[in-house]
Amino acid sequence: MTQLVLGQVLNGAIVGSMYGIIALGITLTFGITGIVNFALGEFMMIGAYATFALAERGGLPYPVAVVPAACIAAAAGYLCNKAFFRFTRGNLVNGLLVSIGLISVFESAVLWYWSATPIEMHYVLPGAIRLGDVTLPKMKLLVFAVIVVVIVLTYVGLARTWLGRASFAYAQNAEAATLMGVHTERLVTAVMLYSTGLAGLGGALYASLYSLEPALGGVYVLKGMEAAILGGIGSLMGSLWGGVILGVIEAVGSIFLPTAFRDAYGLVVLVAILLFRPSGLFGDET
Amino acid sequence: MKRMPTLLGILAAIIVLAAAPAFAQDVVKIGQIEAQTGPNAIYGWMSSQGTALAVDEINKAGGFKVGGKTYKLQLVALDTRGEPKEASVQLKRLVEVDGAKYIFGPFLSNVFLAVRPYAGEFNGKILMWGGATRIHDYVGTPGHDFLMRTWNWDAGPNGFGELMVDQLVKQGVKKIALLYQNDQGGKVMEDIYIAMFKKKGIEARLDYFEPGTKDFSTVLAKIAAWKPDYLFPGYADSYIYDIVRQATETGQLKKFFLVRGSLGPGLKNKDALDEYMVYVPKYFEEAEKKDPKVQKFIKAYKDFYKRDFPYDQAPLCSSSCYDHVYMLVEAMKKAGTVDDPAAVKKALMGMTYEGMWTLRFDERGEEIFNFDVVRLKKGGALEVTHINPK
Repeated sequence: MTQLVLGQVLNGAIVGSMYGIIALGITLTFGITGIVNFALGEFMMIGAYATFALAERGGLPYPVAVVPAACIAAAAGYLCNKAFFRFTRGNLVNGLLVSIGLISVFESAVLWYWSATPIEMHYVLPGAIRLGDVTLPKMKLLVFAVIVVVIVLTYVGLARTWLGRASFAYAQNAEAATLMGVHTERLVTAVMLYSTGLAGLGGALYASLYSLEPALGGVYVLKGMEAAILGGIGSLMGSLWGGVILGVIEAVGSIFLPTAFRDAYGLVVLVAILLFRPSGLFGDET
Repeated sequence: MKRMPTLLGILAAIIVLAAAPAFAQDVVKIGQIEAQTGPNAIYGWMSSQGTALAVDEINKAGGFKVGGKTYKLQLVALDTRGEPKEASVQLKRLVEVDGAKYIFGPFLSNVFLAVRPYAGEFNGKILMWGGATRIHDYVGTPGHDFLMRTWNWDAGPNGFGELMVDQLVKQGVKKIALLYQNDQGGKVMEDIYIAMFKKKGIEARLDYFEPGTKDFSTVLAKIAAWKPDYLFPGYADSYIYDIVRQATETGQLKKFFLVRGSLGPGLKNKDALDEYMVYVPKYFEEAEKKDPKVQKFIKAYKDFYKRDFPYDQAPLCSSSCYDHVYMLVEAMKKAGTVDDPAAVKKALMGMTYEGMWTLRFDERGEEIFNFDVVRLKKGGALEVTHINPK
């Protein structure tokens, strides 16, 4: 039993890191632009399908296909920002409605072109690594490592660079940031590009692990939202930890309770934590 | 003279309108409600492909004669995407707007349960041919004369599932783990197989997963800790691909037993598994080499759709598909009518159709046909057993 639990703690952490990358996009977008972008899951889906198209149809090696796939998702994010989101800043409800509308648009487009029948990529890195009695697929470990590196680099980038400080300044007081020379329009565009690109990267990594279908983004954006709230909206490392904790709760909960309800276990713990820490585990209490 | 074009136009319109009912009478409409796309589309997609092909062949051959009149077929195939609500609206359209008396499908139990009450209102006026497992509970019962099931039943002396479980018993299998999706299809399989395994002395455990699940690591680890001889995963390829991959990648579970789904997930993971035993209505790769009817079908498919033949999906054409269109036409000829589904059903019940499969119906209206059981071994070696139910 110990080995089973240990194995699922590790597996849950890996699966949870996928929630974390979406949570990071959510927390960045909301923290800096004030938009709750429920459509981030769709940018993840775009990244996943783009990876499939580039690797399976275009013949690109998987590691090469990941970068343009994330860029395609970011480009879609850029267009959505220019066409819709820039008109919804400062209006939470309108932003929410636009993002929900985009879910339908993107899902329908993919449904039309690819159909809803799941598709699967070739195995990028088959096989598993044994750590004692615990066995973990190599590809999952690689995905976990990539996500952790990306989140840490994002944290460092925001904490140590002028752009990062400008972002925090804008999030705290947009008017003051503008007066201090921050080019707010460019900043917001950069945040949208980066968060949708991150979601696209998440999708590209997802494609190497699971079969793809148009509705995949819906599940992950909800998990990402849970992870972001659990970690504390606005906390970059909190989004990673939120995702990991959520993944571990789901995995370990499913050992002792029916797997058919695994989605509920994370939600129950989330509600319980929010009762005591309304701003999340790593959120600012002030 | 200036009025001449107008008069000619009116005349042409009158001719077209007068002729329209005559044309309409010469067409027999077949409606189809199947999931052509979606996670559970494995069944409906191939059915819709085969039906369209047969309709095209029959029409190109000049149609068929009933009572001295030549008829052509018109197929109205709608994609339910596996959504019961969507299917209900589509069936209403097929029956009330298109006037289709012959309905092919559904293959999914959740869809069937949703459309059954509405279809029942047209008892005796329509004929519904579906492969859904839940149809077994209703076919041949009062108020369900409209229903025929186009799939072998799992249990009983002719049951393909029972025969496969008997093979497990012969191997000395003691424990089997069932991993089903938490939906109507999963529940119906629980009803059939838990009792069957118990009767045969095989210990079974059942785990459900939420539809939409992609990561099965936890439940597979739980199952592996129980040390079953075989894993019996769900009924839809969309999940079976992920399950077989994740189970074999970690080496936790290497033997699979399936009564639904295709050979595809096994073939994709053939080097990592020990055995993949699956019910396949026909193993086309082998049948193509021996059976001219299968060769003709494969060639016609490639010519019609201008793409490769889907060997892994093609076995699903055993239900509400290619052969059934021809069988329906033969039944109409035998009954001497295209407008009376009750008479056509009576003709169907008394006939055996020799197509790619040998098709006939039992006294309840449930189909019995020959099928194959394929055992895929590590590395890709195959062993095919042909079964001809009595």
